[in-house]
Amino acid sequence: MTTQSPSPVVAAAPPVWSRFRSWFTAAVQGQGLLSGTRSRSAGLLGTVLVLAATMLMSLLIGHERLTVDEVHAAYFAYTGSDTDLVVLHLRVPRTLVALAVGVSLGAAGVLVQGVTRNPLGGPGILGINAGASLATVLAISVLGVTAVLGYVWFAFAGAALAAVAVYAVGSTGGGGATPVKLALAGAAVTALLGSVTSAIILRDRASLDEYRFWVVGSLGGADGAMLAEASPFIAVGLVLAFALTRSLNALATGDDLARSLGVRLGRVRALGGVAVVLLAGTATAAAGPIGFVGLAVPHVARAIAGPDYRWILPWSAVLAPALLLVADVLGRVVARPEELQVGIVTALVGAPVFIYLIRRKRLAGL
Amino acid sequence: MVCLTSRNTRRTTRFGASHVTLSVLITLALTASACGVPDPSGDREATGTDHILNCDIEVPVSDPPERIFAAYQPAIEMAHALGVGDRLVGTAYLDAEVLDEFTEAQQGRRYYETLPSREELLSVEPDFVLSGFNGAFTDENFGTRTSLREIGIHSWIFSPLCPSEDGAGDETIDPSTVTIEAVYEDLRDLGAVFGTEDAAEDVVADMRRTIGEVTEALEAGGDDVRHPSVMIGRPDSGGFRVAAGPDFSSEILSLAGGRNAFAHLDSKRNVNISTEELIERDPEHIFVDVCCDAGMTPADAADDVEAVLSNPALANVTAVAEGNVHEFTFANRSAGVRSATVVAGIAETIHPELFE
Repeated sequence: MTTQSPSPVVAAAPPVWSRFRSWFTAAVQGQGLLSGTRSRSAGLLGTVLVLAATMLMSLLIGHERLTVDEVHAAYFAYTGSDTDLVVLHLRVPRTLVALAVGVSLGAAGVLVQGVTRNPLGGPGILGINAGASLATVLAISVLGVTAVLGYVWFAFAGAALAAVAVYAVGSTGGGGATPVKLALAGAAVTALLGSVTSAIILRDRASLDEYRFWVVGSLGGADGAMLAEASPFIAVGLVLAFALTRSLNALATGDDLARSLGVRLGRVRALGGVAVVLLAGTATAAAGPIGFVGLAVPHVARAIAGPDYRWILPWSAVLAPALLLVADVLGRVVARPEELQVGIVTALVGAPVFIYLIRRKRLAGL
Repeated sequence: MVCLTSRNTRRTTRFGASHVTLSVLITLALTASACGVPDPSGDREATGTDHILNCDIEVPVSDPPERIFAAYQPAIEMAHALGVGDRLVGTAYLDAEVLDEFTEAQQGRRYYETLPSREELLSVEPDFVLSGFNGAFTDENFGTRTSLREIGIHSWIFSPLCPSEDGAGDETIDPSTVTIEAVYEDLRDLGAVFGTEDAAEDVVADMRRTIGEVTEALEAGGDDVRHPSVMIGRPDSGGFRVAAGPDFSSEILSLAGGRNAFAHLDSKRNVNISTEELIERDPEHIFVDVCCDAGMTPADAADDVEAVLSNPALANVTAVAEGNVHEFTFANRSAGVRSATVVAGIAETIHPELFE
């Protein structure tokens, strides 16, 4: 491709910006901003610190601004004051659930993109959000389940069933579960489940209010019990995900080459599917369907750390909760006295980033 | 000046598709809204015409409707209370069980769980649509009142919920219209429209008596009577959905000798708040308003009441600490014929010492 001399606008841009641009473009197109184990590890450590900072922010910023001392006192000088209760029962659980949900969504996004080799893949593409939502709405409107601990399980089962259905549909015909067929099956199942869900909620007014949560995703209802319930599933999902990273690297070279490298494609895809259901299903059960995090963060991780899944996964797992926490804190302050649900904020924050990535076009090569 | 003349412009013609009438109405609507203060209900006696203004729209009184469609709980109950239950060709959207005295009358009526489409509405051939909330006459539901009148269907919105313009919703309610007096005026005006003035006077007298007794009890208590802060709302989406300033709840609570803990939220009738906001406002009583099903009773709030009482984050909230979290229904916070008994019930709950 021949390059003409840069346009006046670009030429007039400050040198720092144009350098950043070319640096970032190169990163998106190939090897990542950071090369070498050393810089990637250091960068990851730095990002963990950023994540810790966003967690602290989430503890301190809310309806009332708290101080570090007040948070500390809630644990070490407990008096049962309003502040103590807010810290113990609202801010800390909410922050930890955001962390767990963020890690899950980030890791699930990496797995979906790696297994389906679909750059536009996210937990949504396998019908997981749609399955979790439908199961929840059914539980509320048909079975009358109202407690969160009650419908968590339905959301989880719905996510799993949807993923299995998508996998089954995507596996029929010659060639097995190819990425394109999986993505197509996912889109079809999502549309089907979504329309059934709509049909139910349009008929049932009583469950409407509770359903709103399942449409946009929110961390407002997070509590300690929810965290305890979700953690084991997420832990298993994460272990599986990390175990699969080598196979995902092989898959990225293409089915034939991967097979010749000794990767059992069916098994990797099945295990990947299980891990995705565990991670994204649990995240959806705990906080509703939060979009864009699982879709956009893996691309950012890839842009920074390069195409190796052994790096993409940890980077995503750290960046995603940081993004989610920032979005949640924003949602608490921008629309007072109401809160903007985190799902809305992540879409607002995530969409421009994602559009930029798509416009760079070199997202393929997964 | 202009406002006064326009208010006095009453016409005795029927409202067909006449362009003259329409243009007069548009002028009327424009001048009325230019005056700023919407006139929620008519001053028919003063002008001696055969129209009544309801939310700036004229409704004729000389030709009682025979086929009434009642949308939402308050409208259905008011129609029965005015004795026109047998003229109901359709009813829609109950939030709870209808009042006991109307159970039988309501049983034979055609009922839709949610608002039907405009087409379905027209298929039962109503000549009048009575709505308890302003959501019925939006483009998503029945269409504007003007568009219904063009095909010969007159309509009425409960005055405490008048939108600032035809077709608009909750966000534009004028708080000065959110009063029990507006409910009385609606009853009288609708009595005139339906030709059941006597029934209307009886209902108003009943309601006045009930609320009068509450007012007397509160006054008898003298200056010692504190007006506790009260929340009406329910758990929703991880926080709470509460009745805010412009909701009729504020009027009900003030008549009952309390005050709405969320009166300061004045943008909408229903506002979603965080648990932290609830902790900060610290209401002394919480009424959990379950909704919406034709079979619902306050007892259906039991689960949500338990959830509020057992939420560790709310342990310091006065209402929770003192066990003052009560079962309630959304239907009970609506403006309508049940408002007086609701006021009495709340007064007895928050001022037990005055009603022994």
